[in-house]
Amino acid sequence: MSGRYAFILAGGVGSRLCLLSERRAKPAVPFGGKYRIIDFTLSNCVNSGIYDIGVLTQYRPTSLNQHIGIGRPWDLDRTRGGVQLLQPAPGAAQSDWYQGTADALYQNLMHLKRRRVDEVLILSGDHIYKMDYNVLYAFHRANRASCTVAVTEVPEKDISQFGILETEPNGRITAFKEKPKTATSRLASMGVYLFDRDALIRLLVEDAAMADSSHDFGKDILPRMVARGLGVFAYRFPDYWQDVGTLDSYYEANLAFLGGQPPLDLHDPGWIIHTQSADRPPVRFIHGAAVRNSMVTNGCVVAGEVTRSVLFPGVVVAPGAIVRDSIVMHDAVIGPGAVLDRAIIDKEAVIGAEARVGHGSEMPPNRACPEHLSSGLVVVGKRARLPEGIHVGRNARIGAQVVEADFTAPVPAGGVVDGPESMH
Amino acid sequence: MRNVMALILSGGGGERLGVLSAERAVSALPFGGKYRVIDFSLSNCCHSGIGHVGVLAQHAPASLNDHIGAGRPWDLDRRQGGVVILQPYQTRSHAGWYRGTADAITQNWDYLEEHRPDRVLVLSGDHVYRMDYRALFLAHEQRGASVTLACTRVPADQSRRFGMVTMDRGGRVRTLEEKPEHSAATHASMGVYVFEFDVLREMLRSRPVDLVLDVLRPLVDAGERVYAHEFNGFWEDVGTVASFYRANLELVQPEPRLQLHDPRWPILTRDEERPAVLISDGASIEDSLVANGCVIEGRVERSILFPGVRVGPGALVSDAVVMADVKMEANSRVSRAILDKYARVGEGAVVGEGDAPGPPDLQWLAGLVLVGKDAWIPPGGRVQRPASIGVGGRYEDFVDGALAAGSVVGNRRWYEELR
Repeated sequence: MSGRYAFILAGGVGSRLCLLSERRAKPAVPFGGKYRIIDFTLSNCVNSGIYDIGVLTQYRPTSLNQHIGIGRPWDLDRTRGGVQLLQPAPGAAQSDWYQGTADALYQNLMHLKRRRVDEVLILSGDHIYKMDYNVLYAFHRANRASCTVAVTEVPEKDISQFGILETEPNGRITAFKEKPKTATSRLASMGVYLFDRDALIRLLVEDAAMADSSHDFGKDILPRMVARGLGVFAYRFPDYWQDVGTLDSYYEANLAFLGGQPPLDLHDPGWIIHTQSADRPPVRFIHGAAVRNSMVTNGCVVAGEVTRSVLFPGVVVAPGAIVRDSIVMHDAVIGPGAVLDRAIIDKEAVIGAEARVGHGSEMPPNRACPEHLSSGLVVVGKRARLPEGIHVGRNARIGAQVVEADFTAPVPAGGVVDGPESMH
Repeated sequence: MRNVMALILSGGGGERLGVLSAERAVSALPFGGKYRVIDFSLSNCCHSGIGHVGVLAQHAPASLNDHIGAGRPWDLDRRQGGVVILQPYQTRSHAGWYRGTADAITQNWDYLEEHRPDRVLVLSGDHVYRMDYRALFLAHEQRGASVTLACTRVPADQSRRFGMVTMDRGGRVRTLEEKPEHSAATHASMGVYVFEFDVLREMLRSRPVDLVLDVLRPLVDAGERVYAHEFNGFWEDVGTVASFYRANLELVQPEPRLQLHDPRWPILTRDEERPAVLISDGASIEDSLVANGCVIEGRVERSILFPGVRVGPGALVSDAVVMADVKMEANSRVSRAILDKYARVGEGAVVGEGDAPGPPDLQWLAGLVLVGKDAWIPPGGRVQRPASIGVGGRYEDFVDGALAAGSVVGNRRWYEELR
């Protein structure tokens, strides 16, 4: 067997996630009580036996760099192979910011050329799924494909968010449209591509020289391959796959793990989702705590009421506080008597005593990002401090690093409290 | 700290812990919802700046080897120093089990001689406490001591469990009594000693067996500069069922004296990757510690749940220590019990009912039910307390699905099932 090599594209801006990805790359957004989104893809790789990975970063890579480091949690701290963080670098010939997904790979072609592999796996760091890539390799080889695209069926209303493709009965792709308005097919590309190595190198070199190309796999490379009649096949992935690209889908996907039928088995000892986790003590439930239908992670101290919520490590829920239908990230503190309802609280935020976050029945969309924050969620940024007794209406957005003095009045539904501009 | 090497005595088999230490050293006993007992000493070393640690193992050493490995969780995977596990070994001219604590050190003296630390810190791996050893070293230096031992105040009726220390006003040790029935002394030695390297080497020349009886006591009697340093925090030797249980349950008191949630002094351990605790509708949890990987559908009260424990719907666990991956089926009940890893409690079974005092020879059970590793309680089974079920206990060990108070079921071996 020849070696295996995977690129993970982790540079996207993730603007539809609003505040959550304002200061971190989307793959680094916390998910599922203790993970980061990219953990699912990284764990899929190592669980499939792929131990040589390049992670392409660009947008706010600090949190990703910190999270991945030398790859210890995934056993990727290896002498040969392992994980390499590939950031754009100035200076060298033909290098610059990555212009698109294909350009990002083109600028890192040397890493591929160096490796003795027959295929190269290209993944996205933005998705929640468990997949054995060995199945994809087998499918790819059986078809003698130039490229195999993993696909999943999506609801008709969502086709405009995905690359939609049409296939022959044998799986051969006959048409590929990036984010179409209408389509007869409901097969969406999962952003998981297995390429013949030499074919990919030729295509990337060719594409880089094309002035009219946007240098993107979905927009340029794949449609061009299909148009030329190259062997591009679709592998239908039968299991759960979720793009958590929007605030609403992010919220729903997190809460989906609370029911009796979670979409993915996180407890499967044969397919562990690995992550970087600090050593935290077990969850401490104090007298008077009432927790149901929730996920609570090590390091939390719970004295209040928690219902249908996800608590990340180190969250403190003070006595009398109520956390309902909410996602609360690492080390946030919910003060005594405070109430959260449909709120997403970023790391280390502090909610003052008796505060009401997600209050009232009015639901005008958020003033600053009306397209993405309109379903009634409240988002509170990292390290924001909400004063005692403050009322925050639905669809409101409280920026990162906001302090108590930034609040002069209750925050109305759809309101915005901006934090200090980030320094970079 | 430079020029200090710590030796952690972890050879004990914990005869008074029954089935819990059948296949592991006391130091490797799970504690506090995710830790092993030795994590406390190792974390103390780590936070006190001691980067060179030897672990003296003998009983069931695999349990310690697995856990400690190269010492990553404590940042002891180092080029210089780090952690080394020192087991009894053979050479062409020598083969010997460790006859006692002092003998264990003597047999590894070559290793110490290679590194020649100025001081040797001797610890026990069987104790649960958070202590900054830097204060101990400071006291040791200020007094110009040959040996400094840490001591702590204990209740008068507990003296027979400890080495009791009397000292003068300056802190110099006057007498050292090993496990006296009655004692005028108020302080117990914690099994934490700082030795000047040369003093310890001199004493080991006569091939002593026991560190207290054959090394410390002769030093005190000879008028050497042996000092005591008082420690005021929580400290517990978990070498008995009663103390192990009490120290665990201390963690779920309203104001626990042993703090696990202190970010300045985290207890470090080899962590498994497990998902968040999943709590279903209809569950209730109070006054408890519950570790990642647990799935709770029933009620949990005043209990410590290790990773991966499942409490089925309608089940109730109270006043219990439940180790990793125990499965409690629907409507089962467990109270005042310690369940070892992988134990299973069948549907509707009841473990720890009744209030019988139990026979006098089972005092060591402290009125609890011990359930050994991988033991299965049959559906509808009843176990009165006190009782002890051996490793791998099966349905055949029960009489009409029940075990009366005072029952002790021996261990099964894995190959018995193959017959």
